[in-house]
Amino acid sequence: MTRPFLGFGLGLRTEHYQTILDNKPDVDWFEILSENYMVPGGKPLDFLDKIRADYPMVMHGVSLSIGSTDPLDKTYLKQLRQLATRVEPYWISDHLCWTSVNQHNSHDLLPLPYNEATIEHVAERICQVQDYLGRQLLIENLSSYVTYNESEMSEWEFLNEIARRADCWVLLDINNIFVSAHNHHFEPIDYIKGIDIDRVMQFHLAGHSYNDSMIIDTHDHDVCDPVWDLYAKALQHFGAVSTMIERDDNIPEFNELHDELKTAEKIAIDTLPAKALTLSQPNMRESEGVA
Amino acid sequence: MTSLRELQQSFMKHLHGEASQHAEGSEHAEGSEIVQHIQSTPDATAQRRLDIYAIGYRLRLKEAITTDFECLHGYIGDDLFDQLMDSYINQYPSQHPSLRYFSQHLVELLSTQKPFVDYPEIIEIAKIEHAFNHSFDAADCTTLSTEDLSKIAAESWPTLEVKFHDSVQLLHCKHNSFAIWKAITDENNPPDLEPDNTTWLIWRKDLISRYRALDDAEMYALTRLAAGDNFSELCEGLLDYFEEEKTPSQAVYYLQTWLNEMMVCGFLLSSKKQYF
Repeated sequence: MTRPFLGFGLGLRTEHYQTILDNKPDVDWFEILSENYMVPGGKPLDFLDKIRADYPMVMHGVSLSIGSTDPLDKTYLKQLRQLATRVEPYWISDHLCWTSVNQHNSHDLLPLPYNEATIEHVAERICQVQDYLGRQLLIENLSSYVTYNESEMSEWEFLNEIARRADCWVLLDINNIFVSAHNHHFEPIDYIKGIDIDRVMQFHLAGHSYNDSMIIDTHDHDVCDPVWDLYAKALQHFGAVSTMIERDDNIPEFNELHDELKTAEKIAIDTLPAKALTLSQPNMRESEGVA
Repeated sequence: MTSLRELQQSFMKHLHGEASQHAEGSEHAEGSEIVQHIQSTPDATAQRRLDIYAIGYRLRLKEAITTDFECLHGYIGDDLFDQLMDSYINQYPSQHPSLRYFSQHLVELLSTQKPFVDYPEIIEIAKIEHAFNHSFDAADCTTLSTEDLSKIAAESWPTLEVKFHDSVQLLHCKHNSFAIWKAITDENNPPDLEPDNTTWLIWRKDLISRYRALDDAEMYALTRLAAGDNFSELCEGLLDYFEEEKTPSQAVYYLQTWLNEMMVCGFLLSSKKQYF
């Protein structure tokens, strides 16, 4: 599997629509939250189309519920596929989690027990989704706050094994590794070194908040220094990986996020040889890329 | 070993149970089944760890309701709105993968449960906000213009049917709820509650949600055409509002108005059995 490098992207947020259209900032690509555009029409889709005309995009979902024991939601999958037809994303990602059971949605990314039965269950469902969408998925690691007694392995072993069996990619969230390492008392570098290098397609960076002894994945702060340090280590380990910054709350002016993205770019330039950071062909589409 | 499904059902019960007990003022859903499956550590018990999810669940749903019903929140105040949100979250678990649709049954709750059912303007304000929420991202269509009227052959007019944009909605208010909504939206003091009897048209034009009051004749015309009446049936019904010789021109005038307001997506000619 070859890994295309898109460069450095930002999450597309409604607060920044007009700024992006007016100023055409030098962002390599945008990541959209798929569910925000799984609507019949109106402004969201209008802005999406206009911005897509100028920028590459990837799609990132929060409601696939790939780990649920409910049947896969065919209506959701159909809408996801329709959106992908519209957006022509470089790739589609979602989380290694479950969000719903008995048709009730938690609207949260809930963790799974890390054991063989769950691996088998999730890998099979990823295969079904990949068959339906006609492309490989990226599966992202979570921030989590609980460990099940039923878990029999580390999270990175669990993620690796699912990615191998489903032949999917990994979206590695560096902040989530930091958060979960703190909450579950493991070394974040062990996680990074435990993931198959050739499976990682994208990095996420984000901020978080402290709540007593726990760290909560709030996406409402700047990326903190320890996460930047971990990002540099991840680049050393994996090489050039398309990187984006997630900001979902307390959203600042676009320029502030853009500056933060430049920090990510500078760390990559300082860490990797220039040749490694050559962007993949800008006209790459799903049929030519990772699908 | 407990199955994955059992774990997930227990976890979801904890989220729901936590929600209802918080509504009654207690801090934890102590002793829920999922706790025994979660590891405690010296810095955080299993209960404490699960609480992060339960509290987050409730906060996310409340944020979604607050976003959708900002004006209602402003009108009834924090305490009653919080009571409303607690009731709604407990009674209407989210059944849609997108939070965008979580609050879609709020009017149903307001219309059936005390104390809200005793305050009709509360229900009307909620209906107004619900209608605007729908118009915001209702399905797109290529709207027709007045020039398209010339494509209708004379013999086709009697059986002409009209397809409206999905954002087009009519809302009848028995109180001055729209004035209250407008005042709160503009961050002004709302007027005192008064009886009213107005039907409002809400729709989207150029990506912006619009609204205006309708007189009885236009309300009738729009209602009948939206229900599937054809042009001839409309003209017949308009006899209750206009003199006979004026009804066709008045019906055409309405059509022109709606076309200019980008409310019309298609004309159905019975001879062709298809819209254009």
